[in-house]
Amino acid sequence: MIRIPNIPDDVRARHAGKAWPVSMAGAALLIIGSFLSWCYDDRVLGDLSIRGNPGGLQILAIILGVLTVVFLLVERGPLYRLRDWADAALAVRALGLWSLIYMVLVLIAITIEAGGLVNVNEGGWISTLGALLIFVGSRFLPQRELKNLATARLSPYAEIAIISLSMAAILFGAAYALSREDAWEFVLFLVFATGLVVGLVRSGFTTFFGHIATRNKKVLTLAAFAVAFFFPFTQQGSDANMSIATQVLIFAATAMGLNIVVGLAGLLDLGYIAFLGAGAYVAAILSGSAFATVDLTPPFWLVVIIGAVVSSCLGLIIGSPTLRVSGDYLAIVTLAFGEIFRLAMFNLDGNNGPDLTNGPNGIPGIPDLQIGNFNFGDTHTVLGVPLGRFSNYYFLLLVLIGFIILVFSRLNNSRIGRGWVAIREDERAAEAMGVNVFGLKLLAFAGGAFLAGMAGTVKAHQDGAVSPDQYIFLESAFLLAAIVLGGMGTIAGVLIGATILKLLPEKLRFFNEYRLLLFGLTLVLMMRFRPEGLVASQRRALEFHEEDEELAELIQSEHLEDVR
Amino acid sequence: MTLTSEERTTPTESDGQPLLEARGVIMRFGGLVAVNNVDLTVNQGEIVGLIGPNGAGKTTFFNCLTGMYKPTEGSVRLAGADLPPKPRAVVTAGMARTFQNIRLFGNMTALENVMVGRYCRTSAGALTSVLRGPKFRREEQATRERAQELLDFVGLGKSTELLARNMPYGDQRRLEVARALATDPKLILLDEPTAGMNPQETRQASDLIFKIRDNGLAVVVIEHDMRFIFNLCDRVLCLVRGETLVEGTPEQVQSDPRVIEAYIGEPESEEEEAQG
Repeated sequence: MIRIPNIPDDVRARHAGKAWPVSMAGAALLIIGSFLSWCYDDRVLGDLSIRGNPGGLQILAIILGVLTVVFLLVERGPLYRLRDWADAALAVRALGLWSLIYMVLVLIAITIEAGGLVNVNEGGWISTLGALLIFVGSRFLPQRELKNLATARLSPYAEIAIISLSMAAILFGAAYALSREDAWEFVLFLVFATGLVVGLVRSGFTTFFGHIATRNKKVLTLAAFAVAFFFPFTQQGSDANMSIATQVLIFAATAMGLNIVVGLAGLLDLGYIAFLGAGAYVAAILSGSAFATVDLTPPFWLVVIIGAVVSSCLGLIIGSPTLRVSGDYLAIVTLAFGEIFRLAMFNLDGNNGPDLTNGPNGIPGIPDLQIGNFNFGDTHTVLGVPLGRFSNYYFLLLVLIGFIILVFSRLNNSRIGRGWVAIREDERAAEAMGVNVFGLKLLAFAGGAFLAGMAGTVKAHQDGAVSPDQYIFLESAFLLAAIVLGGMGTIAGVLIGATILKLLPEKLRFFNEYRLLLFGLTLVLMMRFRPEGLVASQRRALEFHEEDEELAELIQSEHLEDVR
Repeated sequence: MTLTSEERTTPTESDGQPLLEARGVIMRFGGLVAVNNVDLTVNQGEIVGLIGPNGAGKTTFFNCLTGMYKPTEGSVRLAGADLPPKPRAVVTAGMARTFQNIRLFGNMTALENVMVGRYCRTSAGALTSVLRGPKFRREEQATRERAQELLDFVGLGKSTELLARNMPYGDQRRLEVARALATDPKLILLDEPTAGMNPQETRQASDLIFKIRDNGLAVVVIEHDMRFIFNLCDRVLCLVRGETLVEGTPEQVQSDPRVIEAYIGEPESEEEEAQG
C-alpha cells in the first residue's frame, strides 16, 4: 500500500506546538470556504456558486471540517475526557488526507465539467488551502497511549442511541448517494464517505461500535431492519432507485445463502446461481404466464416451497457424490453444474426434450404477485408516500432476507455451527471426534440451495421474465466476490459486499466496461492485505492469520471482555 | 463428578467379557507390514500401555483400532460388537482418542472444543436449531454444562474462554483429553500424552489418567517415557517391528531382556535411547 512517510520524531517534537493551531486553522478555512462560492458556473455539480448557501458537495466538506474540529477538541479542549479512548491524532490525520483528496477532486471536477480551472471561485481555493493545512498540521500531532476500547462502557441508553444514530446516518447517506444523478457528484460522495469511514476507523470509533454492537445485538438488528424498512419512504415514489434496491436485495439474499456454504461450512461453490435459477424457473413455470408450459398456478407460498425443495434436491444430487472428496473437486463439479443447468434450461424447448422452459426465449410475461387482495404491481399510498411496484417487492425481499439471516445466525450458533467450524479447522480431527463431516457438508450445501431457491421464486415475479442467460457463471463469481470482499461468515460484511458489488455498477455506468478489471484488482488487493474481508469475523481473521500471535492475543482479550 | 453419563449403560464386569478385543490385526501398506498379527485385550477399569521403539507400529495400530485405517486382516470388537472401520462410528460406539501431535481446533475456545466433542451425543438438527424450541435450549445448556464439568475435571476450569491456540502446551494436551472424554467413551486411547512435558506436568498427566480410570473407564496409552508407563499401567504391551514382543505386568516387561535389547539395540544399531 502507499504509505505517506512519517515525520521524524525530532522534527515532530520541534514543531509539535504549532500542529494543533495549524490544523484548527485549516479546519476553519475548510468550513468557511464551503460557505463561499466554489464555482463560477451554476449549472455543474449541483450549483456550488451561491455565497452563504452551501450546495450538496460543500455540505460534505463542512461535515469533514466539523468532524476534524471535534477530534481536535478531543486532543486539546472541552472534549478532553475522550482523550484516553479516541485516537484523535490518527483520526485528524486521516481526515486531513481525505479532505485534501476530496478538495483536489472537486477542483478537477470543476475544471472538467465547467471547462477550465478558471471557473473555480475563491471559496474553492480557501477550502483546498484549509484541507492542505489540516493535512500538514495533523502530521505533527503527537500520538498517545490509549486504553483498551473493549473496556469502555457507556450507559445502555447511550449505547442504543449511538447505534440508532449510526443507522439513521447510514439510511440518510444511502438515500443521498442514490439520489445523485451526476457521476462526479456520486464519485465525490464516495470519496467523502471513504474519508469519513477511514477517519472513524482510525479514531477507534468503529472498534468501539463493534463492541457495543456485540453487547446490543438485538438493538442493532432491529435498527438495521428499521432503516431498511424506511428506505422506500425516502424515495417519494420514484422507481429508479427502488429498482436498484430490489436488485441489491435479491443479490444480497442469494449471497447470504451462499455464505452458509462458503462462510460457515467452508465449501467452495462456483455454480450457486443455478440454485437461484432453479427456484426462478419453478416459479415461472407455475406462474400462469401465457408462456408457461405447465397450466398450474398454486398459491405463492406453495410455489416458494416447491422452488426451494427443487433447488435443494438438485443440491443433494450434486452434493452427495462430490462432498466426500476434498475441496478442489467440489469447486470443479459445481462449476460444471452451473453450466449444465444453464444449458439444460437452454435446451428444454421441446426439440431436445420436454418443453419446459421455451429454451433460449425463456418465460416472459410472468404476472405480478397477488397475495390475497394485495397486488404487487399496484401503487399503494402509505402515510402519504406512494409505494410503487418495486417497493412492494422490496418489502417482500426484506422479509426473505430477514428469514435467511435468521437461519444463518441460528445455525451458526448451534451444535451444527460448531461442527462446521471444527470441519474447517481440521476435518480429520472432527471426524475422529464424532462429527458427522459428510452430513454437515451436505446440510450446508442443500440448505444453501434451499434458500437460493426461495429467493429465485421472488426474483422470477419481480423480473417478470426468466431466461437462461441470466444464470451464467459470471453471476456465481460475483456472488462469491461479494462474500470474499465483505467478509466470509459474517452477516453485515456480506450485506455490505453485496451492496457494493451491485450498487456501484448501477450508479457508475461509465465504468461498466472496466467492471471486471476493477473487481479483479480489488479482490487481488483484498487477498493480499485483508483476506478476511471488509468486516472480519474474528474466527475467520484467526484462520487467515494462523501465525499472527498478536492478533490471537488481541481477539482473546476482547473475547474475555465481551464474555464478562 | 462422574464421567459416565446416566443414560448410557456401562457394561458390567460380571459378564466377564473384555471391553476391547483386537484379534490378529494386520495392517499392510503395499509390501510393508506395519502391524503384524497383534492381539490386544482391554478390560474395564484397566490401564494398558503400548510401548516400542519409534516406527514399531504403535500409532498405526491405534489408527486401526479407531477406524482411521481399515485393518487388512483381523477383527476389533468393543463390548462384544464388531467395530466398523469408520472413525465416527467408533466414537459413537464408545472409544475416543487423542492425537500424538495435538489436533485441537485452534481458533475455538477451550469450551467450544469440548462442546464439539459432545456432538455425537446430542441430536439437535437444522430445523430444531433454527426454531430454537425448549428442547434445543435444554440440550445446548446441558452441552455447555457438561463441557464445563469436563474442563474442571481435567483442571482447566479457569481456561474456559481461552482460544485453544493461545493455551500452554500442557494445557492443550489436557484439553484434548477433555474433548475426547466429552464423547462419553468407555475406552480412551491416549497417543503419547506426555510428549514434550516436564516432570511436573508428567506427574499431573498420570494423576489425570488414574482419575479417569477411577471413573470406570479403560485407558490405553502409547508412551516413550518408561518410568511414566511402568508407574501407570496394569499391563504393558511391547511392539517391535509391528509384532508383539512381550505382554505382561510392568515388572515382567521391565525385566525382560528382549525389551531392553529392542530399546538400547545391539551394538551396531544404536538409534534408540532407553529412557527408563
